[in-house]
Amino acid sequence: MRILRWLVAVGVIGAGGLWVLARPAPLAASAVEGLSGDITRGEAVFWAAGCASCHMAEKAEGDAELVLKGGQRFASEFGTFLAPNISQDAEHGIGTWSALDLANAITRGVSPEGEHLYPALPYASYAKMQMQDVVDLYAFMQTLPADPTPSQPHEIGFPFSQRAAVGVWKLMFVNTDWALPGNLTPTADRGRYIAEALAHCGECHTPRNALGALDTARWLAGAPNPSGDGKIPNITPAKLTWSAADIVQYLTTGFTPEYDSVGGHMAHVVENMARLPESDRQAVAEYLKAVPAAE
Amino acid sequence: MRHTILLAAALSALAFGAVAQAEDPFADAVEMRHGLMLQMATDMGKLGSMAKGEAVYDAAIASRSAENVAAIASVLSMDQFPAGSEYKAAADSFALPAIWATPDDFMAKITDLNTAAAALKVASATDVEGLKAGMGQVGAACSACHKAYRQPED
Repeated sequence: MRILRWLVAVGVIGAGGLWVLARPAPLAASAVEGLSGDITRGEAVFWAAGCASCHMAEKAEGDAELVLKGGQRFASEFGTFLAPNISQDAEHGIGTWSALDLANAITRGVSPEGEHLYPALPYASYAKMQMQDVVDLYAFMQTLPADPTPSQPHEIGFPFSQRAAVGVWKLMFVNTDWALPGNLTPTADRGRYIAEALAHCGECHTPRNALGALDTARWLAGAPNPSGDGKIPNITPAKLTWSAADIVQYLTTGFTPEYDSVGGHMAHVVENMARLPESDRQAVAEYLKAVPAAE
Repeated sequence: MRHTILLAAALSALAFGAVAQAEDPFADAVEMRHGLMLQMATDMGKLGSMAKGEAVYDAAIASRSAENVAAIASVLSMDQFPAGSEYKAAADSFALPAIWATPDDFMAKITDLNTAAAALKVASATDVEGLKAGMGQVGAACSACHKAYRQPED
């Protein structure tokens, strides 16, 4: 009986402790202090990180890709997420955010109001971003247009509608460890930063566990397409047998070695990658060659 | 007896009609567009191996392939995309229903391809850097259309 009482007490303390640990954990206010943003470099970060691909209106093309009004729908096992407006609109977008607010949102998954954001925003990847890149990105995003379209609520049911649960998920799955650890050549190291931190390749190309977190043991080994039909391919050397030159050409023009052309969401990724310097695409190619083969 | 033969003939004619009907009415259209894409891929392949440095740049070969790409682009139209020949409805088709929902946009993307192919013809005849730039434009036109209008393969 006394033991039971103890167990209950330990359980309550444990739950309380978890509640404390799982609270939103923003960056220290000093995180971006002393850094100043560069618009040109920020634009490269913006494309590498693929911000527009998800936050522009569905099927936007050309200049409309820079109107980050939101509204695209992303189906998942947990419900459908609707990309919010992240344009410079003060009321409906993020026009009033500071650089620190942006850094908290994309690297910590915490809103300026101190709420957990859902990991449909790939902060599990962006957590690895350098603060200078975030500040540069902020500078570039401030040059983008404002759009007054209100953000739509996500369509998710209980228990995933409880944002507190996201805190526990973050404790379990969000960290700044590289999926491909260790020392790499300078080129592959740059490729790792682009692929793992910015372009968040793993978010689609790596299978997820029952809780929706990436199975890093099967990094880039392919996954079902959350939108329904088809499968997102394995891009480890087990299946992706293209030469580095093939990969660079694919990321530049969208042509596979058979001269089929990219389609689906990957077409956005190629558009983004094509805007980076060729050295960055070569870096990604070298990184992909260094990833362990996984069937 | 005569009646029986006639009846049998009539029945078999009906059955034959049913079989003919059950044959895929879009097989020709699907085969035609796949053939056009395959020829396009073959010519892009010649240009691409020069761009990748796997083959030595040859202005004559490059021009010839770029001309083929432009010629194929000029042939593309709704003629190869009869209504109903979409993904899951017609065998081997990956054409999304959006083509018939927004045919003007679909054709605009084919016009973009023609523009890019015309630029490739000029650029590929100059040097390998021009060829690379021209391929980038054609590639962007290919994927703009495939992104919107083609079901990705598994």
